[in-house]
Amino acid sequence: MKKQIIPGCVMLVLALVISIGSFTFLSPCVHEDGSVGACWWAGRALLGLGCLLGILAVLTIVSGRARFGTYLSSIAVCVLGILTPGTLISLCRMSSMHCRAVMQPAMIILFAAGGLTAAIGAWVGSKDKWGKQ
Amino acid sequence: MTGMTSLSVKNLKRKPGRTIALVLLTAFLALAVFGGSVVVLSLRNGLQSLEARLGADIILVPSEAQSKVSFQNMFLQGTTGAFYMDASVTEKALEVPGVEKAAPQVFLASLKADCCSIKIQVIGIDPEKDFTVQPWIARSLTGELGEMEVAVGCKVEADIGEIIRIYEQRCKVIARLEPTGTGLDTAVYCNMDTMNKLLAAAEAKGISHKITSDDDSVVSAVYIKVKDGYDIDTVNTALTGKLRKVTAVRTRSMITGVSDSLAGVSRTVSTMIVVIWVLAFIILLLSYVMIIRERSREFAVLRVLGASRKMLGRMALLESAACGLMGGILGVIVAAVGVFAFASLIESSLGLPYLMPAFSTVLLLAIGTILLSIAVSAAASALSAWRLSRVNPGTALREGN
Repeated sequence: MKKQIIPGCVMLVLALVISIGSFTFLSPCVHEDGSVGACWWAGRALLGLGCLLGILAVLTIVSGRARFGTYLSSIAVCVLGILTPGTLISLCRMSSMHCRAVMQPAMIILFAAGGLTAAIGAWVGSKDKWGKQ
Repeated sequence: MTGMTSLSVKNLKRKPGRTIALVLLTAFLALAVFGGSVVVLSLRNGLQSLEARLGADIILVPSEAQSKVSFQNMFLQGTTGAFYMDASVTEKALEVPGVEKAAPQVFLASLKADCCSIKIQVIGIDPEKDFTVQPWIARSLTGELGEMEVAVGCKVEADIGEIIRIYEQRCKVIARLEPTGTGLDTAVYCNMDTMNKLLAAAEAKGISHKITSDDDSVVSAVYIKVKDGYDIDTVNTALTGKLRKVTAVRTRSMITGVSDSLAGVSRTVSTMIVVIWVLAFIILLLSYVMIIRERSREFAVLRVLGASRKMLGRMALLESAACGLMGGILGVIVAAVGVFAFASLIESSLGLPYLMPAFSTVLLLAIGTILLSIAVSAAASALSAWRLSRVNPGTALREGN
C-alpha cells in the first residue's frame, strides 16, 4: 500500500513545482511592452497540464481501485507536457530567451521525472496486483 | 555470477539505506567532476572559437561606439548595437602601410522582431572583401548570399527556407550557421545590397543611420588584417593617426580580457572540484571505517564458515566498487541533464564565450568520471577491507555478546 502511494506523493510535488513554476520562476518570456508571444500560451498550457497532473496524483493517493489506470493516465499527461513547449506550441525564436533557456528544459525534465515516477507507480501496482492473484 | 559477487549484491540489497547513502555520496563526486569539467572545457572551446571568429588583427569602429555599446559585449553576449562612420574609412585604411585586407561590416539593430520579444543584430558583410564571417558562412552555405537572403546564427530559431521579417522586409533564411559560443550566434547576416534595403526600411521607420544628410554610404566596423612582418601595434597607431573620429581596437586586447575572466572562472571551478573531492573522500573513508565496526561480526561469521581473508577483502572492495559504479553513472546523468539542458542559461549567466565540447570528448569524460568514481570508492574502502580481512573471528563474536 505504502509503496504504491509514494510515487503519487512524488508526482504531487512535481505537479506543484510545474504549476507554480509556470507563472513564477519557470515562466515564459516577460515582454517589456505587455504583449504576449507564443511562449505565453505554452506557459498557460503547462499550467493546465501541471494542475491535471496534480489532480491525478491526488487520485493515485486516495483512490485504491483506480490507481493503476490513474498512473497510466499520468504517463500520457507527462508525454503531453514534454511535447508542449516547442513541439506542440512554438516558443520564441531566440534560444537565449527565457522560454527556451529555462522554461523548456526545466519543464521537459520535470514532466520526464513525473512520467518516470508514474511508470514506477504503475509497475509497482501491477506487480502487487498480479502477485496477489 | 560467482558466489562472492552474488554475496556482495545481496549485502547491498539487504541494507538499502546504507547503499543509497554511499551511492548518493559518490554521485555527488561524479556530478562535481563531470559538470565542472564540461563547463571548463566549454569555456575553453568558446575562447578558441572567439579567436577563430574574430579573425582580424584590428577592428576600426567609430569613436562613439565604445560609449554607445560595449563592443566586447556585442561579441560575447550578442548585445545589439548600431553605430556608423563614413564608408571611405575602408579605402583610407588600405592606404596605411602594413594593412593587407580591410573588410567593412554594417550593423543594424532590428526593431522587436516579429518572431521574438527582443531585438536582433543584423550584420551586413561585403562578400568580396570579407575574410572573417565568410569562411564561417561557407561551412553552412555552398553559394553566396543573394538579395534579401540571410544566414542566421545557430541561436536564432528559424528554419532554412523560412521568411523572417526585419523592418517589414521579407528576408529568406538560406543557411543556419555553426555554433561559435559567442554573441555572433544570435545575429543575422546578409550582403550589402540587402543591408542597404534594410537601412532604407529603418530610415522609413524613423531610425536614421545617416552621418550627414546627403550621404548614406556608411559602415559600422572595418576588420583589418595586418601583413606578415609588420608590427600590429605600429599599424594600429598609424591607423589611429590617419583616421579621424575612428577608434582602432586590437582584437588581442579583447581576447586577453576574456581569457583573464575565463582563467578566473576555470580556477574557481577547479578549486571547488578539488575541495568537494577531498571532503567527499574523507566522508567516504569515515563511512567505510564505521561500516567495518558494524559488520565485524558478519565477517567473523563468514571467516568461521571458511571464507579466506582474501575473499573477505575482495567482497568489501566489490561492494564499494559497485556503489562507485552506480554513483558515477547517476552523477554523470544528473550533471549531463543539467549542463546540456541549461547550456544557454549557464552561458548567459557567465557572460563568456561558451561552446560545448564534441560528443566524443563528452563521452570520454563521462567514462573517465565513472572510472574515477569506482577507483575513489574502492580506494576509500581499501583500508577498511584490509582491516576487515584481519578480523579475529573469536574476538569479534565475543565483543558482540
